[in-house]
Amino acid sequence: MSRAQTLTASPLKQAWLKWRFHLNILLILIPLGFMPKYFADAKLFRGEAGLGANIVRDIQVGPYSLDLAEMRDQEPQADGPAGFFKVFNAALCKACIQDVKATYLRIGKPRSLRAAGTIFFGAPYNMSTSLPIPPRTSPDAQIWITVEGWDGSMHQASVPLAQASPATVAWLKKQGGKK
Amino acid sequence: MKHLMRTFALPTLLLAAAPAMAHNPMCECEELASGQVKCTGGFSDGSGAPGVTLDVIGYDEQVLVGGKLGEDSTLTFKRPDGEFYVLFDAGPGHVVEVDYADIPQP
Repeated sequence: MSRAQTLTASPLKQAWLKWRFHLNILLILIPLGFMPKYFADAKLFRGEAGLGANIVRDIQVGPYSLDLAEMRDQEPQADGPAGFFKVFNAALCKACIQDVKATYLRIGKPRSLRAAGTIFFGAPYNMSTSLPIPPRTSPDAQIWITVEGWDGSMHQASVPLAQASPATVAWLKKQGGKK
Repeated sequence: MKHLMRTFALPTLLLAAAPAMAHNPMCECEELASGQVKCTGGFSDGSGAPGVTLDVIGYDEQVLVGGKLGEDSTLTFKRPDGEFYVLFDAGPGHVVEVDYADIPQP
């Protein structure tokens, strides 16, 4: 058997060997399809697209004020056994940045400063926190903002959950008392 | 061997690029038959929480039981009378509260 004979393959095989190189182009085209989402996310995370959805402006918390928004207008996301979470963003007023030590968020009024809820982290102009949403939360619940100042003072204010995150309230109503 | 490495290189790289996981604190409590309550703390990325503070606090803000989670991330204590809540405290803003009404009785 000569060597030349073994190289004659079926037409299909020949086409594959000839054209498979061009699959490279696909490798460039596929990521291009994801670009719009990538840039939209990058814009959101950098704060160029604003604070988020359903912004509640100028919430007065004692002497301070802040803007609160949900990261995305969507229902709470599950995080395994830890339960459901919703990401909120907040921006402190420019004059309060120096005086505020920490900002907390909680569903329902906190029992104490120790249990004030989740803490906001990040730049004071665009802070984030993920707020646990207990599945049994009442749809007319309030979310409480606790601001702790460097002078040791503590100030609180509340916003209706229905105003800050309508999608969460819709989610709570939908699964009503299932858990 | 080389062939095997080539075959698995791409899947391995894809798996290695898994998204960063959040580590939200979590705490679960259950009542044992003997009137004891066992609480287990941890984080949602699967890590345990040995040595983390866990306090049992009455509705009047009196600390009834103050303790730290053991090596197995659990703490067992006698169920106090009246209304109370369990506070898993992994630092400011990293707390979980478990109300006494949410601790299932056997």
